[in-house]
Amino acid sequence: MSSVARAIRPFASRVLAQKPIAPICQASPAFRFPRGTRSFSQSPLAQLKKYTESHEWIELADGGKTAKIGITDYAAHSLGDVVYVELPEEGLDVAAGEPVGAVESVKSASDVLSPVAGKVIGGNSLLEDKAKTINESPEGEGWIAEIEVADAAELDALLDEAAYKQTIDA
Amino acid sequence: MLVPALRSTFRGIRHNSSYPVHQFAELARRPSSLHQIYTSLSTDPYVNLSIEHFLLQNAPDQSSILFLYANRPCVVIGRNQNPWLETDLRALHNDRNGAPEEEEAVFVRRRSGGGAVFHDEGNLNYSVISPRTSFTRDKHAEMVVRALHGVGATNISVNERHDIVMARNESDDANEPLTRKVSGSAFKLTRHRALHHGTCLLDSPNIHDLGKYLRSSARGYIQAKGVESVRSPVGNVSASLADSFFSMQGVVGGIIEQFARLYGVNPDAVLRAQRAHANEPEVFAGDSWVAGTVSEVQGEQEPDIAKGIAELRSLEWKYTQTPRFTFSTYPIEEDPRERPPLPASLPSSTRAFLRLQHGAVVESHISVSSDESIASEQASRVHAVLNGQKLHEMTLAQWSEILKQGLGGTRGIDDALVKELARFLGGLLGG
Repeated sequence: MSSVARAIRPFASRVLAQKPIAPICQASPAFRFPRGTRSFSQSPLAQLKKYTESHEWIELADGGKTAKIGITDYAAHSLGDVVYVELPEEGLDVAAGEPVGAVESVKSASDVLSPVAGKVIGGNSLLEDKAKTINESPEGEGWIAEIEVADAAELDALLDEAAYKQTIDA
Repeated sequence: MLVPALRSTFRGIRHNSSYPVHQFAELARRPSSLHQIYTSLSTDPYVNLSIEHFLLQNAPDQSSILFLYANRPCVVIGRNQNPWLETDLRALHNDRNGAPEEEEAVFVRRRSGGGAVFHDEGNLNYSVISPRTSFTRDKHAEMVVRALHGVGATNISVNERHDIVMARNESDDANEPLTRKVSGSAFKLTRHRALHHGTCLLDSPNIHDLGKYLRSSARGYIQAKGVESVRSPVGNVSASLADSFFSMQGVVGGIIEQFARLYGVNPDAVLRAQRAHANEPEVFAGDSWVAGTVSEVQGEQEPDIAKGIAELRSLEWKYTQTPRFTFSTYPIEEDPRERPPLPASLPSSTRAFLRLQHGAVVESHISVSSDESIASEQASRVHAVLNGQKLHEMTLAQWSEILKQGLGGTRGIDDALVKELARFLGGLLGG
């Protein structure tokens, strides 16, 4: 978790402190392929949002350098009322599959695992006061961590929405 | 490769052999070890919780494991709780000050969620680790209820908080609560696995005063993020069996039997697991199962368990893992409750406010003067020395020293007043 000084450092200044964003190849949500079709390109930017079997999502920001991570609608629903979220410390290096936070609900502690390797930019400080945001908007306002992605190509190996839906219906 | 020890006693038993204890970790990790049942000979909560954590992290994904243990007297708080709020640190062993005496209760923070509980030798802990996909929160509490029914405690059931409660007998006093909690549960979920562990008050000798460990005198001053405990009246299972013979072994045997029934465990494994009276650590295994006793030995032999024990014992884990909180002797915006009166020995203008993050002071206001400008000067001088201090490292002597440095020299402050304020704050905050 970040110190007070870090926590109050405006988000914009943190973003500006990043390396300049590559101007090429920017993908926007409008770019997304219709659900169920396979991307013919292997570009990691072709699909911005991916999922894991352990119910995390990761969404690449424009430029493909940073990404937000959270837990899925399904996970938030099955965990029940979230009472506390442990946020990651800024600057923490995580490997794929390592905890990037933890969520407590109904006496259960669950690790939130980073789908890919990267360096933590910060946690979602909104959750410090309103842990329940995870139940209200798990894939939106209730994101948990933002990371600088080590290699965006790592996202290729993750599940797309259709494949993830299949794992939870199974 | 696993080579069974050639202990003559067990030679000739097919697919059911005794192994040297140091092979516990190897057998627990073995992909074919689908059913594992262990009882612990150790009463050290750090050891037992770390063996449990090792099993959660290392046993095969599809395996189902039962682990039973009892701890020495201790207070165990949930992962995201506040020890200054949930426990009376002064009634517990001061872990900043050497090893505990035999009889002292120790303070433990576990890795699972939930609230604070008290353990002692009369409290049996059960732990089931199973695949996450087939897990429900009541599954194993129901399993324990069936075992308790089996020993004759028929007035026991699972409630809506996934706790096990004992209903009042008809013959009981009308003032007796309708139910008393005999078992509380907590859970830890990982990618593929679910751990459910629960307490079970079978015959605790401390049943009537265990509340004293769970009552903090700072409760009226602290506002904490994280998880707050839900208080319930508690009881011993043995109390519902007043006329019949009660034994801890009987319950242990019953839980093993119910676990075996739930997961279809090989009868050989059950037979071996029931040898829980053994005083020596011993491990048995068949093709698809492992059963036996574990102890401190595993902690000494398996590096992952040793690492877990060191982490749980560390003051960083126990104290600095605490979610953000404030302590204030006067109402503040985020905690406007009316406060208990100050001790008569302190001026009524005395104010003490602390904001803590990771257990360290990040903001404070401590002053005694009734004059605003003097008070604010006192507060900023105290903060200069207090800022960044870890609360668990603050002894009474350090409180005195810091307050003396901060307040000393200002008008109307003498040593006696500094000492009094240090005693007040240190007393509330376990110094």
